[in-house]
Amino acid sequence: MSNTVVEIRTPFHEFEAGFNVIIELITPGTRVLDLGCGTGTLLSRLRDEKDVEGCGVEVDQEKVIRSIERGIRVMTLDLDQGLEGFPDLSYEYVVLSRTLQQLMNPEALVKEMLRVGSKSIITFPNFGHWKLMFEYVVSGRTPISGTHPHPWYNTPDIHRLTIEDFRSFVRQIGAKIEKEIFILNDRPRKEMFWPNRRAEWGCCLISAY
Amino acid sequence: MVDGCSNSQTTSKLYAEFDGIELDSGVFLGPLTVAYETYGRLSASRDNAVLVLHALSGDAHAAGISENGRPGWWDGMIGPGKGIDTNRYFVICSNCLGGCKGTTGPTSINPATSKPYGRSFPRITITDMVNVQVKLIDRLGIESLHSVVGGSMGGMQSLDWASRYPDRVKSAIVIAATARLSPQGIAFNWVGRNAIYSDPIGACGLPEVNSDSVRMGRGLAVARMIGHITYLSEEIMERKFGRKLTLKDMDGTTYSLGENEIGGGEFEVESYLQHQGAKFMERFDEDSYITITKAIDYFDLESQYGDLISAFKSVNAKMLVLSFTSDWLYPTSMSLAIVRSLQALKKDVSFVELDMPYGHDSFLIPAAMPKLTRIMRGFLNGVKHSS
Repeated sequence: MSNTVVEIRTPFHEFEAGFNVIIELITPGTRVLDLGCGTGTLLSRLRDEKDVEGCGVEVDQEKVIRSIERGIRVMTLDLDQGLEGFPDLSYEYVVLSRTLQQLMNPEALVKEMLRVGSKSIITFPNFGHWKLMFEYVVSGRTPISGTHPHPWYNTPDIHRLTIEDFRSFVRQIGAKIEKEIFILNDRPRKEMFWPNRRAEWGCCLISAY
Repeated sequence: MVDGCSNSQTTSKLYAEFDGIELDSGVFLGPLTVAYETYGRLSASRDNAVLVLHALSGDAHAAGISENGRPGWWDGMIGPGKGIDTNRYFVICSNCLGGCKGTTGPTSINPATSKPYGRSFPRITITDMVNVQVKLIDRLGIESLHSVVGGSMGGMQSLDWASRYPDRVKSAIVIAATARLSPQGIAFNWVGRNAIYSDPIGACGLPEVNSDSVRMGRGLAVARMIGHITYLSEEIMERKFGRKLTLKDMDGTTYSLGENEIGGGEFEVESYLQHQGAKFMERFDEDSYITITKAIDYFDLESQYGDLISAFKSVNAKMLVLSFTSDWLYPTSMSLAIVRSLQALKKDVSFVELDMPYGHDSFLIPAAMPKLTRIMRGFLNGVKHSS
């Protein structure tokens, strides 16, 4: 018997579609804190395209060094430890891109984001997509897809949430969704019929009441 | 234009003479000599100078090969094409005040007695060391530094520069440092000084003199051994030495590692410390050790300014704070205290914690250079000039 080789697909190359959506939401010349900034791709684009004064937070040492090499201001911090030290409302925007589903305690961090920034932008893979649901029901196994590229036993994506999950979560923590954008096939849409079943990614601009 | 030696490998020590300086304590210390080295060329607009600040046992010889064949203490970092690229930057490093490598310190002649100051050398502070560096920078005709870079005690100086000379530093790099030495750090320094105090007074010679023939005590060596334990980590000691014994010949004499002398140590870790202590006896002065460790002990920006927020209020420099996971002498929490105060003031601060096993001394270890090089080069490159 040959072992089944699980192909691990990388999510969205550099997530260009998602970055485009985030960049469009951000007012030029503002201060932006990017949580889980990776190698600083979003922040360097924001600096070049929107004259943004950015700061990144990243826990992976190699990514931190890459960010420094790109001239990005960065902090080596673990998001699961919160945002201690960041003053209240010190940023216009706090961005959490593709990271929400990897946090130990998403609620605690999103509350911290609302404390530190006037507005927060959160993108996450939508587990409610019909293909994933279909595979789940039909095969009875945890699906693997472009948005959820890792097998259950070795994945940083420890939460599997849907767009409806996120909407009710935002209500529950007493915040409001100002804008919603859905990404399907790398194309962002402001309006979408049945997004919870059709969008691959959700992108929300939220703020405290 | 000041000429450095970016192309030649050998470097030579330069000296700047001053009438003197009024110390933090109010005491006037003079005349004052500052030993320094420079690498690279100062640009026509004099805006590419980087001041490198050494740690406790360092000196002005930071890069290149000295006349007697010794590589600089940060030769892996400073040089053409290196992390602090001497093709781009004019790098300056001076021996600190109170040192024993050319700058006025306990081994210098006290004009009042025509004898070395020895233990009567006045009490100095980190602030005094920085004030002496300011005199040197003035003398070199440099108004504003592209960066000040220092590790450990050098990092304390880097912080002091950024706080007190906001208009003269474009950026500051603070490596494995703290805004206030911990009681644990003070304790280790105290034990080190105690080892020196236990030596018969006056037993010690000048560092130029072949030490072992003149010195009766080995207090300085013991102090250095204690220091070395605090600069390493448990993990690196395990990896480097384990419980290995020093190798012995058929007749029982040690033939590798250690000092090949009685008391050279049976375990490899012992002979390593023995070797470090003996080397230090040859190149350092015990009164300098006392003077400098006291300056480190008293460094406390919190008490000096009331709190760290007040200390950093006027900082203009782009800041980079670096710590190492395995540094238990100046642990990450101390770097974070600096970072959080700067953050509270919305200053431009980056914080990098490097996962390295080499302990406090990580920034000096060749194996750490590739990562540190990328960080230095990237950060220095991002420092803008708005003249």
